[in-house]
Parts: sequence; structure tokens; C-alpha cells
Amino acid sequence: MTNLFDPELLDRCISCGFCLPACPTYALTGDEGSSPRGRINLMRALDTGVLDVDDPRVREEASFCLGCRACEPVCPAGVQYGQLLETWRDLQWTGRHRPVVAWGLMTVAARTSLLRLVGLVRRPARGAAAGATSLMLGCFERGLFPGVSRAARRLLPGVAVPADQGCCGALHAHNGQSHQGEEMARRLGEQLPGVIVTTSGGCAAHLATVLGRDRVHELSEHLVATGVTPVGEVRVDGRRARVALQDSCHLRNGLGVSAQPRALISAVADLVAVPGEASCCGAAGTYSMLRPRDSRRVLDPKLDAVEAAGVDYVVAVNPGCLRQLDTGLRRRRSRVRAVHLADLLADAAGGRALPRPRRRALRAR
Amino acid sequence: MGLGQDVIVELEAIVGSDHVRTAKGDLEPYARDATPLFRGVPDAVVWPRTADEVAAVLRLATRRGIPVVPRGAGSNLSAGTLADRGGIVLVLTRMTSILEVDADELLARVEAGVTTAALAEAAAAKGLLYAPDPGSRTVSTVGGNVATCAGGLRGLKYGVTRNYVLGATAVLPTGEIIRTGGRLWKDVAGYDLTRLLTGSEGTLGVLTELTVALLPMPATTNTGVAYFPSLADAGRAVTAVIADGIVPATLEFLDAKCIGAVEDYAHLGLRRDAGALLLFGDDGGADAVERSLTRIGELCTRHRAMEVTLAEDVARSEALLAARRCSLPALSRLGTLTILEDATVPRPRLAEMVGRIDEIAERYDVSIATFGHAGDGNLHPTCVVDRHDEAAADRAHKAFGDIFATAIDMEGTITGEHGVGAAKLPYLQARLGADQMALLRRIKAAFDPAGILNPGKLGS
Repeated sequence: MTNLFDPELLDRCISCGFCLPACPTYALTGDEGSSPRGRINLMRALDTGVLDVDDPRVREEASFCLGCRACEPVCPAGVQYGQLLETWRDLQWTGRHRPVVAWGLMTVAARTSLLRLVGLVRRPARGAAAGATSLMLGCFERGLFPGVSRAARRLLPGVAVPADQGCCGALHAHNGQSHQGEEMARRLGEQLPGVIVTTSGGCAAHLATVLGRDRVHELSEHLVATGVTPVGEVRVDGRRARVALQDSCHLRNGLGVSAQPRALISAVADLVAVPGEASCCGAAGTYSMLRPRDSRRVLDPKLDAVEAAGVDYVVAVNPGCLRQLDTGLRRRRSRVRAVHLADLLADAAGGRALPRPRRRALRAR
Repeated sequence: MGLGQDVIVELEAIVGSDHVRTAKGDLEPYARDATPLFRGVPDAVVWPRTADEVAAVLRLATRRGIPVVPRGAGSNLSAGTLADRGGIVLVLTRMTSILEVDADELLARVEAGVTTAALAEAAAAKGLLYAPDPGSRTVSTVGGNVATCAGGLRGLKYGVTRNYVLGATAVLPTGEIIRTGGRLWKDVAGYDLTRLLTGSEGTLGVLTELTVALLPMPATTNTGVAYFPSLADAGRAVTAVIADGIVPATLEFLDAKCIGAVEDYAHLGLRRDAGALLLFGDDGGADAVERSLTRIGELCTRHRAMEVTLAEDVARSEALLAARRCSLPALSRLGTLTILEDATVPRPRLAEMVGRIDEIAERYDVSIATFGHAGDGNLHPTCVVDRHDEAAADRAHKAFGDIFATAIDMEGTITGEHGVGAAKLPYLQARLGADQMALLRRIKAAFDPAGILNPGKLGS
């Protein structure tokens, strides 16, 4: 097998190793094979036929990688690792090799009729299809966190929310069906007029790759770009809330958006910097379902840091991260609550009440 | 060829079965370091945790005649960590303890796998400076820095890694664990084995622990930039600065090709009409820094600088330094194969050398841009070609052969800070002569009688 990968993309890597310290899975193993440079060397070995797709290590690494793209901003040579990973998974996760869970989720997401059903039950935002800006309803967000799109709509009253919208296909692109992922993004682009605003960092990055950067805005980016100033304040126990941010990997590493959510949080609460806030939480799309053990190994130190920072809320800008943080914090009965940025801003404006942080347990000294 | 099953069982007994890998897919990621076009597949990758484990692996290797290649982060540019004869790649990245940082003695003791940035941060947390500042510091290990005697941007004022190694723990191929040097600046008891091990590129022993000297953190740093019509003018300015008695921390240059590439990539607002730029920086007390930068600015202006700008604040200073730091990424985006080389000439001949490099590049019809450390005469001619154009890669290779020969002619050297590795071994004899090469081999044999440690590199 040769030329499986776009040579332009694969040749970009100069093997300098600058990606090693940025990679969360390399941090877990200390093995080059689970670093971006090592994985690119595995791809090169696939490309030249030195290894094949059935090699156990090659298969393991295609799935062990979080796809967080933390390697991209630190790469001197500008390797588009995310795209290489998509190609790799296209090769690797065909037929029987496709993880069953991912296959199931993708099947649901690809059916607009099923998504519509979810919309009927869970009642995400709705709004007349007019105007130059539309709000995208993420396919899983509308099922898991329907309130997020309602909060976003409250922040952007003029935005159109067409009811019959499909899935952006990020899920497919990241799980070995990049062509279908692209196709779905294009179709969604046709369904949604004008600038598409999304409350999901992962969807934003995928959509922007297909539809172009101009047409896609993640919520925080859109609010800042259009000069919307958040109003009000989030309060806990009679004081200004202390809030941490968990960056969405694809938003930060793929689209370079990290200052905007911070600016918005600072406007309504006390933003607290937490070590590791820019690194992956382990949700990574379907990762937390496909590799729960590794997902928790990535998440645990992050939750330790969040708790140590003494914050009331940790904000996510992506539904997958929100679910991951929420599950993790509940599991350890933390007083910290995970909330979406849209909810935080809506709460500040008095539009929607956040879940209260638990009272801090009195610790015996 | 592969290692025998009995060897693998023994390795597993030493470091634990989790820390020995021999499957094809596990070896492939260790078949390269940061050197383009070089590849060497090991038979096993082994991750020891202690010097005792390293010693046991080396004893086994010596007994069985198995090559062992020590490796830190594998960020070297000289094919120094490639198992081009198979055998074991011994990865030291699990040895990451910072054992002590002592502000009274001004030193730190670290295991070999600690990254240079982690050491610098630990020192900074106590208000101390670890002066060596290689471009790869976020990824490269202290052990690797010492093994290659890494340099960096602060070489002129502070010297290179060698100047900061007070002591080392090294495991010899025969299994002895030796401690050379110690905690002292002044210590002349015996041959200076610490210096011999520094820059020995993993051919004499495996470094497992280092004691390095620290300095008090300078109160301020600042940077300025000067644009010149030609590199020759910049070279004369550098000579004038040194002659004036100023030894700034940083004195870096970019040639016109680099300026263009950096500006295309990073949009820092550099002047594209300049033939060269000098980046100068200093650290110390605020008054002293201002005096030194102002004086350098004056000397540059006197030597035909078109423009001199001093940074007004830290952010602007960082932006200027970014111009130098991003030379490699900027250039690497011009093609798919980037060969970054490392030659040094006496400082006053820097401009002449760059002129010769340009001639050589023209003769071989390849594009070579040059940047580097003007203060130490250390330059990095960088050639970017299409990876799949074998003829061009071959011409680049020949051009670098001529560049090294030219550097030696000028009483310079074939590497200032990257090391010889396998990539530059063919040029070493031209630099050292036959007698020294023979001495190197005798020294190598004294440390490594079975010749198992990083074969095909120094001392081979």
C-alpha cells in the first residue's frame, strides 16, 4: 500500500518533536508511539507498506489518540494533524473495525427524522427561519442539553433557528467517515442561512473546515465579533461567582478561539485560571464512550485542578466537554458545577437560573 | 536480525515487561529522530527508571554484543539517537525527577530525562536562571543537552551547556556507575571526565543524573533590532560591538531570505528591503541593559544600519525574539524537506562565510537561507527542497559537504551546537585529523570495550 495519505500533509512533519509535551496521551505513556510525531511515523509506515492497518499498534494508536489537536498550535511546521487523523481513521475504521458505539451514534445523527423526534421530546430553541444569522442545534446537544440552545437564543434574539436541521457530520469525520462528514456539513450549510452560530466548539471547527471560516461562528466568537456585551452578574452565596473555563480543544486548537469565552466570563463573573484548562478533558467526541478508562485518566487530573482552584462553576463551550465534566464532577460529589457558557451568560442576564453549587463540606482539620 | 527471546526475557526482568517493546508497530516510532532522511529501526525499545536498571541493561548488552542507543526526546538534528545497526533504544524519558534546586549553592540536580524547560522553570521558581537556552528546550531533555553540549540564544554572554555542568552520574557500558565532578566550580582532581562526557553523544556512557550550575535571575531583559543593507555591514557592526567591550546576552542575525520567509509566515512587520537584520538583547540591571542596548544601537547606526529600534516593553521584546525563533518554522513551510545545518566560523568571518554559502547554493542550484548566532559565529544554513525531488536532495547534500569544508578552511567547525551523530561523522576527520580520530577511538575503547554504545557515531 502506498500513498494512502495526502503527501502534502504527511511531508509537512519535520519530526522535530515539539508536539511531544503538548500531547495528553504521550503524557500518559511516555511512549513516542502515542505522540503525534510517533503516530505520523506510524502513518508513514502505513503509507510505505512497512506496516499495515491490521498491525495491533497501528490500530491501537488510531483509537488511543484523542484527536484534541493540541499538537497543531505548537507545531513549527504547521502539520494539519487533525486532517491526517481523519484520513487514518478512514483507512482504519472500515467495516468490522469500526467501533460499534461510534457506528450507532453516527447512524442516529445521520437521520434527520430521528433528530426531529429528539427535538419534539427535548424542546431545544425554535425560531422563524429569517435573518442573516442562524443558530445550529447540535445533534447531541439537543438531546442532552436542550436548554443550551434556548439560552443561546435568548442572547441572540434575532437569530433564525430552522427546525429541520441535520447534523454537521463532525462525528462522522472524526470516526472514519470523513466523506460523509463533509457531505453532511455541506447539506447543513444549505439548510442554515447566513452566518452559522454554534454552541459547540467541535461542530464549529468541522463546519469551518468544510464551509469556510467566514460562515461559521462559535457562540463566544460571535458575541464578541458582533459587539454584544454581556449584562448582569452571576452570584453565589451573595458574592460574585468564581468561574473556570475548560477550553474546547477543537475551538482552541482548530480555530484559535480562546480569548473570547474568557472575555465574556470575566464580564459576568470572576474568571479563575486553572492549570491545564487548555488541555483535553478526555471527552473528545466519542472517546469517552469508546475508551472510558483512558478518558478518565485524562479527566482526573483536570478535575483535581478545578476543585483545587475553589471555583463555583466550570464552563464548557462544547456539549461533549460539558457532559464529561458534569459526569466527572457528579461522580466525585464535587461542589463545583459544570455549565455551558450560554447558560452562564443567560443566568447573568437574569434569563435562566444555573444549578447551585453544592455547599462546601466542612472539613475536619 | 532481532534479539533472542532469552534477551527479551532478561530485559523484562530488569525493567518490567511494560517497559520493553519489540513489536514492529512499537519500534517504528523510534526509527527516527529529528534528522531528515535518516532512519534506523531498533530491535527493542526499553524504558529504564533508575541508573541501576540502566547498568543491568548495559551489562547484558556488553555480554551479548547488542548495540544500545541512549535517547532522550529524540529532538537532535544529527541522527545521533538512531539505532542504525539495530539493537536497543534506551529511552530515558521516565527519569524525570528534579532532585534538588539549591539557591544557596546555585545549582540543581536532575535526572537525565527532565526537559530543559522544566529545569528552567524549577530554577525560575526560586529566582534562578538556568542559562543554556536551546531552541528545543520545551521538548529536549537535560541529559540530551549535556550529551550534545547544546547551545542556544544566550551563548555569547553565558556560554553553552558545557559551562554549566558541575557533575554527572553516568553508567558505563560495562555496568559501572560513575559520578564525575560534583557540586563545585573549582575542582581539578583528575582528568575532567565531566567535560569529556559532555558532548560525547551517548558513546562513552549513559548519563542518568546531572548537577548543573544556576545563576541569579537577571532583573530585566530587553531586545532591539537593527536592519542593514547587507550582511557584511551587519558583520562589521558585530565586530564593532565586541571590540567596544560589550558582551550582550543575544546577538542573532537573519539573512535577507530568512527575513522574507519569517515575514511571510509571522507578519511581524520586519523590513523586507533589508539585506540582513541583527537582533540584540541583554539582561541585568535595568540601567545597565539600557546602556548596553543604546550603545549597540549607536554602533549599528555608525556601521550603516538603515534603522535601529529598541523594544519599548516585554511584549515587543518577545515579538522581536519571535522573529529569530520562528526562522525554522517559517523556512520549513517553503518546501517538504528542511535540512537545518550547523556550522561555526570565527566571529569576524561570519559575513564572509554567509557569502560563501550563497555561492555554494548557487553552484548546486539549491536555495539556502542562513540565520544564526552572530555573536558566536555559529550559523544555521537551512536548505528547503521538495522531499520527492531526489536530485535536489542530493545536490543539497553535496552543497553542505562544501559548506563544512569551507567552514574548516576558515578555522571553523562542522558543528557548533547540534552534534556530530551519524549525519556528520563522514566530515569529522576533516575537522580533527587522523591522529585525533585515532585517539577518539582509543578513548571510546577504554569506556566501551565491546563497542556496544551508540555504534556508528563518535569514536567509531
